[in-house]
Amino acid sequence: MGPMKRFKVRRILIEREAENDSLSKKIIEKLPNIPRERVGSNELALWEDIEEMDKDSLRLIHYKGEFLKPCPGTRRYICCGYQILNVGINCPMDCSYCFLQSYVNQPSLRLFTNLEDKLNVIGEFIDNHPERIFRIGTGEFTDSLALNYITGWTHFLLPFFSSRKNCILELKTKTSFTKDIINSRYKKRIVIAWSLNTSRIIANEEEKTASLKERIISARECQKAGFVVAFHFDPLLYYSGWENEYEEIIQLLERYIDPTSIIWISIGSFRYMPDLKWHILKRFPDTHIFDGEFITGLDGKQRYFKPIRVEMYAKLSERLKKWYDNLGIYFCMESDDVWEQSLGWSPKNSSNLSKYLDNRVRMVMPA
Amino acid sequence: MMKKNLLKSSLVNIVISDIDLTPGPFCMSFHFNLEPLKGSIEKYGVINPPYLLRNPDNNFLVVAGYARLMAVIELGWHDIACHVLPDSFSLFNALLFNLNDNLIHRQFNSIEKGMILQRLTHFISTEEIVTNFMPILGIPSNKQQLELFLGLDELEERIKISIAIEQLSIRVAGLLRHIDKNDRLKINNLFTSLKWSFNQQWETIQWIKEIASREGCSINKIINSKDINEVLHNTTMNKPQKVKAIVRILKFRRFPSLSKAEKLFIKGVSNLSLPLGVKIIPPPFFEGTDYKLEVTFRKGEDLKEKLANLCNVPELKHIPDFWKGI
Repeated sequence: MGPMKRFKVRRILIEREAENDSLSKKIIEKLPNIPRERVGSNELALWEDIEEMDKDSLRLIHYKGEFLKPCPGTRRYICCGYQILNVGINCPMDCSYCFLQSYVNQPSLRLFTNLEDKLNVIGEFIDNHPERIFRIGTGEFTDSLALNYITGWTHFLLPFFSSRKNCILELKTKTSFTKDIINSRYKKRIVIAWSLNTSRIIANEEEKTASLKERIISARECQKAGFVVAFHFDPLLYYSGWENEYEEIIQLLERYIDPTSIIWISIGSFRYMPDLKWHILKRFPDTHIFDGEFITGLDGKQRYFKPIRVEMYAKLSERLKKWYDNLGIYFCMESDDVWEQSLGWSPKNSSNLSKYLDNRVRMVMPA
Repeated sequence: MMKKNLLKSSLVNIVISDIDLTPGPFCMSFHFNLEPLKGSIEKYGVINPPYLLRNPDNNFLVVAGYARLMAVIELGWHDIACHVLPDSFSLFNALLFNLNDNLIHRQFNSIEKGMILQRLTHFISTEEIVTNFMPILGIPSNKQQLELFLGLDELEERIKISIAIEQLSIRVAGLLRHIDKNDRLKINNLFTSLKWSFNQQWETIQWIKEIASREGCSINKIINSKDINEVLHNTTMNKPQKVKAIVRILKFRRFPSLSKAEKLFIKGVSNLSLPLGVKIIPPPFFEGTDYKLEVTFRKGEDLKEKLANLCNVPELKHIPDFWKGI
């Protein structure tokens, strides 16, 4: 497998209201030879495009909703109190397990072109709550860096968040597209994060993403350039031989990464709303992600039977701690008893997990 | 929509050998019982003559009345009075004509619904079919359902019959499409030879598929496993008992840890010697942490006695641990 390549854009769909937004103009300038179509915001998409997600079309949208929103988390499990900066929806990569396949009912890579114009509103909100620490990420509904070479998101987001003392911006990615940010002057309050998985899962279930090694080498380069980094073992998948293969990831981390400037490492096992399964099986009929023992969780999502989760979390976190004992390990959407059994302690509730992570910010990225 | 003046047809006596009797572009009949119809025709004749369209080969296509024609052939008729629709009558209108003719006097089985939808795709868009025709056929109006019904045509005759006579769930049929031919015939046999509810079929087919995926073996091998075969050939069990036993075997293979935990829990609780009418219920799938106590009693005195006895069961303190040794 060669190095990760930039994604090909087949067409640009421009909603009428987005035409005059600054980001639209920049994107059109960047891609002058790509066919463009003007579309209305209410125009119905084709069934086929919705199903296949139309991942090679950009749709430029003047977003009317809130750009900064708390992560919805999940009922009855402990969540981290993250804030999502909604820069767009959908992603040019194609992970079999991606929740967007059932979450999104509109196709194309949807980019919100008035983001830059709305930053002042977000800034005002953050500045009006100096007592809080805002942990903000753009990687929930899209990949934070996959389309950055087109959108130039980091050109305006890095300076904007770097200048604020009560927030951090986490750019979460499965790419190796760090060239554009590595030379940035704005590294303060910025966390570059990678989702990690075994080489087998990356090859079989994470189409068009960077290889494991590429991700870790990119992380090393970012660390060397002065960025704080984070890692997310999510979704953890259980299969015969998982332990040895996750061990390989940690060995790579040990070889390339300085653990002292990792702000946190999250771990979350594969979980999904029941409906997602049918979308996945349709698009990825040969996937093995459903092979494990899934039960219905307290929030209605399917997740591994608890002893399996505990086994995976305990082994992985113990191994990570052996590497470095202060990595800010936390679980994504897990219950108090799973925390206790896997890690030997529990934040007990979401509010305490938030505090724990806020303290990680204070410790690793002092204002 | 059809115009009201489209039904100008001529009643003509047609030699049956001049009619193309392969299920044509308007046919929406599958696995029908001709006997009652033959009986009626013998007694009263063909009350509603079939409708035909002349086709370019100078023979006739059946628009409506396919079953009636099949019946009269079996009765040995040589010719039959039919309405011949004008040549200007479009193929789409002929299809709608037959659909409406059928809709007023019978219900379609799922295979027939699939045939109708399949035929409509030659004339109108997916969106039109979903919006205008699926509700008429009593199918939820969405693309997934449309695909499900259109895909039924790919299945073997034996499986189609199982679906038509409602021995096999339509949802299961949707999954069968993506399974190797021999495997799906095997599944069809398993589901039709015993009495399975549709929910049991649905759960079981998923388990079988997932076991095959995880263990890297064929579906055939799973169904042919020694323990399932033993159940199938057991002469002391009735059909529902066999279904339950097969479900248990497959559940244990699909969810080994969960099944073991459930077994351990049941064993642990049964060793407690709980008072009669007292039950301890674990959280679903052991995911939560709260257990429930259920006490059945008739009078307050009875309840007091049971609770007092319960307090004297020292092993109660081990309750959450029963299943944790998996």
